[in-house]
Amino acid sequence: MTDTPTVNADATEIHGDGRPVIELTGVDKLFGSFQALTNINMRVGEREVVVVIGPSGSGKSTLIRCINRLEKHDRGTIIVDGITLSNDVRNIQEIRRETGMVFQSFNLFPHLTVLDNITLAPRQVRNVPKGEAEERAMELLERVKIPEQARKYPGQLSGGQQQRVAIARSLAMNPKVILFDEPTSALDPEMIKEVLDTMKSLANEGMTMICVTHEMGFAREVADRVVFMADGQIVEVGTPEHFFESPREERTQLFLSQIL
Amino acid sequence: MTDTPKTAGEGVYLGTDITLALAARDEAPLHSDTTPGKWVKDNLFNSVMNSIITVVLGVAVIFLLTRAAQWVISEEWRIIQVNLRNFMVGQFPRDELWRLWWSAYVLIVGIGGGVGALAHNAEDDAREKGLEYKRSSWLDLLRRFWPVLAFVALMTSFARTWLPYVGVLVALALVVAARTAGWAMPAPVRARAVQFMAVAIVVSTVILAGTSGLVAIVAGLVAYFAVASETSRRFEGSDARSTLLRQLAPIVVGVAVWFVLDAVAVDGFGWEDWGGLHLTLFATVVGISTGMPLGILLAVGRRSELPVIKGFCVLFIEFVRGVPLISLLLFSSFILPLLFPLSVAVPETLTRAMIVITLFSAAYIAEIVRGGLQAVPQGQTEAAQASGMSAAKIQRLIVMPQALRAVIPAMVGQFISLLKDTSLIATIGVAEFFQYSAISNAQPEFLGKEKQIVTYSIVAIGYWAFAYTMSKESRRLEAQLGVGER
Ligand SMILES: Nc1ncnc2c1ncn2[C@@H]1O[C@H](COP(=O)(O)OP(=O)(O)O)[C@@H](O)[C@H]1O
Ligand SMILES: [Mg+2]
Repeated sequence: MTDTPTVNADATEIHGDGRPVIELTGVDKLFGSFQALTNINMRVGEREVVVVIGPSGSGKSTLIRCINRLEKHDRGTIIVDGITLSNDVRNIQEIRRETGMVFQSFNLFPHLTVLDNITLAPRQVRNVPKGEAEERAMELLERVKIPEQARKYPGQLSGGQQQRVAIARSLAMNPKVILFDEPTSALDPEMIKEVLDTMKSLANEGMTMICVTHEMGFAREVADRVVFMADGQIVEVGTPEHFFESPREERTQLFLSQIL
Repeated sequence: MTDTPKTAGEGVYLGTDITLALAARDEAPLHSDTTPGKWVKDNLFNSVMNSIITVVLGVAVIFLLTRAAQWVISEEWRIIQVNLRNFMVGQFPRDELWRLWWSAYVLIVGIGGGVGALAHNAEDDAREKGLEYKRSSWLDLLRRFWPVLAFVALMTSFARTWLPYVGVLVALALVVAARTAGWAMPAPVRARAVQFMAVAIVVSTVILAGTSGLVAIVAGLVAYFAVASETSRRFEGSDARSTLLRQLAPIVVGVAVWFVLDAVAVDGFGWEDWGGLHLTLFATVVGISTGMPLGILLAVGRRSELPVIKGFCVLFIEFVRGVPLISLLLFSSFILPLLFPLSVAVPETLTRAMIVITLFSAAYIAEIVRGGLQAVPQGQTEAAQASGMSAAKIQRLIVMPQALRAVIPAMVGQFISLLKDTSLIATIGVAEFFQYSAISNAQPEFLGKEKQIVTYSIVAIGYWAFAYTMSKESRRLEAQLGVGER
């Protein structure tokens, strides 16, 4: 076969030559009797950026929250960086240390300064000494371009600044992969760009990322693959060019026509 | 006309409620650009109706003040003068009173020094974060604690010897000296302010109650935490071997302190004869300081996913909250001893009363804390979980601090209730502050003289002074902690 299809429903085919960092096989998730995820098969390779799109309620958040066990999946296997997710607390924590997460509503700790927000996990989980942790936190703040806010409290920052702090916080544990759940959806339009720029530079530096987002410009520019979900299933997968220019499935076409 | 909608209210407000007026003055000082004459005209005589109200209330206030003045200079105060020590310390043996003074002094030095050091730490901290920090002047402290100081001054004025005057003056001098010294300490010493305060509390307790039994256990626990915080400071971020030392050292020291103190067994004074205001305050402090950790545990337990733990906590909280404190006290006093096997010594009445007060306040605190826990968004826990923190650390470092901040007003309200509720231990035959009103009026000299108005006024002023100070402090704390939250 010389002509590999660039748009299909198989999300297990890694773009590029990275080894898989995340592997989901036959994952189902039920909330009571409601099936939120059905037979999810997906792999994400090292240094790959996968953007997940889909209508509201299609299971995008549930999907990435299953990866770090904020939700418990009911069937199938999830492997993160070679560790198979199980019910063992230590196993869960090991996986969580390898995965950073950035939330729609930032979820910074309001009673801690920006610096303490970032150093908390390294100090508490990895036992990094205070000085070392703070040095590293300042580097990260330089990277997200707000070192001058280090001593402030989250409540004193704009939404865009808060989300950049949240990104710095997720980087502090040196994760193998970062999960973004609609990181710009709660932001005022003028602040979206600064957060997207931060995410872009992360991607360019080779960070492995799964991003749930409605920012199609970002997807076009940065994504290696785009995954379209509907009703808890992966409907279509492809490179951004083909995805946006010639989507195969009717539901994908409908969705894209609505948001573009 | 600078007529504001509030003006009508303020006329009445000033006339009737001095307390509120003083409280309001703490927060909103009068603008300096209004002259007194203009202020009076704007606020008290700005309309016919307000003028009438002002005049009527003014006459009423003058009348009441004259009556009060007549009463103050009358002979009514003898009942307080004669019973001053009873009101303050109950039947505490008079030749052991030095213990009370000295334990108070040690406490003052410890707390005063610690507070001074902590204030300096807070200032450094704020400067580092580039935040505003307003250092409390002595005048600020006067403004914060004037009710208690006024009450102490009032009670001292009833003394018929010079000793209490000297004692109070020494105490005041120690407050000033300790706070100043605490502030002036070098940073590494100030970093240990809390340990210093804890040690002072233990020493103060030892002076009062000796070293054996419960005191030795508490001292051991304090030593444990003091050493633990020191080792965690020293060994932060180091390898497994020092982690072992870090966990062992506090245990060894704690147990050693417990054993040695228990073996030395310096005599103290048991609390069979404790009473008066001293006991009231002690019971309140015990109820708060032991009820708080227990209440927090109960609140966390009530949210547990393990049915046994959850069930126990719900059962305990709902039982205690469903029963009046007085019946719990009576139960502890009259029925509990019957349930003890003959071979086991029944704890003293007061010990049992303290246990009941602790359990009682724990149940209420638990519900307050639970409310606070529910107010912390789920996203906070998730963000902490996502970074791999353990459940215990998430509770301790993320959820609990936010929950407790959110419930400061309710919590202090509970503390104030507890202060007043301790008067119920009178029902099991313990003469605390409130009870001395009845006791003194039953003395032959005062029997049938109807001096209750005098004694109850003094008691009321006493409770009010502490309760009002607590409530003022809670508002201050709230404002302070609110700084970074918005
Ligand atoms: N905790 C929950 N309990 C019950 N249903 C849930 C829960 N979380 C999500 N769901 C349901 O699962 C579906 C997928 O939700 P979600 O993953 O949040 O969608 P998306 O992020 O794509 O908008 C939705 O129908 C939602 O109502
Ligand atoms: Mg979502």
